[in-house]
Amino acid sequence: MRYSYGIMDRGKIFLYKAQLFLKSKDLLVFPSSDFHKWHSDIKEYVDGLYQIDFSEMESGKSINLTELNLAVGVLNNITEELEHLFDSEKVSDFSYHYVSTLDDKYKKQRSSYTSDMRRCDMQIHVISEEMKYKHIMEIVDEANRDFSRAFKEGRTCRLSKMKKKDHQ
Amino acid sequence: MRVSEGVPDGRIAELYNPEMFQKHEEVIVFTKEEFNRTYISIRKQIDYINKIGLHLDRSEEWKLIGYWPKIMQNVHRIDMNMDLIFKKEPIQSYLDAYLYDNIQSSQNKVSVSEKEAITKIKLSNLNLL
Repeated sequence: MRYSYGIMDRGKIFLYKAQLFLKSKDLLVFPSSDFHKWHSDIKEYVDGLYQIDFSEMESGKSINLTELNLAVGVLNNITEELEHLFDSEKVSDFSYHYVSTLDDKYKKQRSSYTSDMRRCDMQIHVISEEMKYKHIMEIVDEANRDFSRAFKEGRTCRLSKMKKKDHQ
Repeated sequence: MRVSEGVPDGRIAELYNPEMFQKHEEVIVFTKEEFNRTYISIRKQIDYINKIGLHLDRSEEWKLIGYWPKIMQNVHRIDMNMDLIFKKEPIQSYLDAYLYDNIQSSQNKVSVSEKEAITKIKLSNLNLL
């Protein structure tokens, strides 16, 4: 996203990277320290959600309702933070600043596409006795066709040879 | 947080509410349109997860096996959106289309409160019943 820092000077803002903005576009201006604090707060909550996910993955068990409730609670906190962004009376708490150091391996995406779904999609049939019989019969038919063709060709070959002999 | 809208004028930006900021305070400036899209995108992801949470029958815990990866997908999108704020790449949410995408300047209307959303869903459920 395009962003620029700037400094407040005599009721106006002096932009450091003014070339990023078109004249017709509206701007949104936040105090930079407050905004960074807000950003880090939300990152903290999101990292928390990733941690719930990872603890669940590591234990090998599926997620339970308690963990879902916890996740929804964390989400409500994010919603509150989002609302505070436009609440001018809300003062940021600068007592600490969270820096996200969560490794990317904890953020791995797992798809909800399971092997059972794959089986349905690929239409993998279970091989039954009937199908086995059908398959054998197909092979026998094919062999029969090949054999009869070869037999016919052999006969015509022999016939033509015999005709040649007669002429001689 | 203190916030103000403004318009750029060369190297200088004029503010609608300059009284919000202190003298010589450092500020960060976004274009309203881009910030709006990211903000709405995050809200949509949160609403989606909240809806899953609300509509899930608490006696059917096993359904969570399917829902949880979906929830995490949305969490991942929130994370991506938050990262994009300080990245130079164009924002992904430009690809999202919202039919009712007219956010007004009024500060009260920018965000819908969580309670309101929940009661609305509850009401719509009652109507269905």
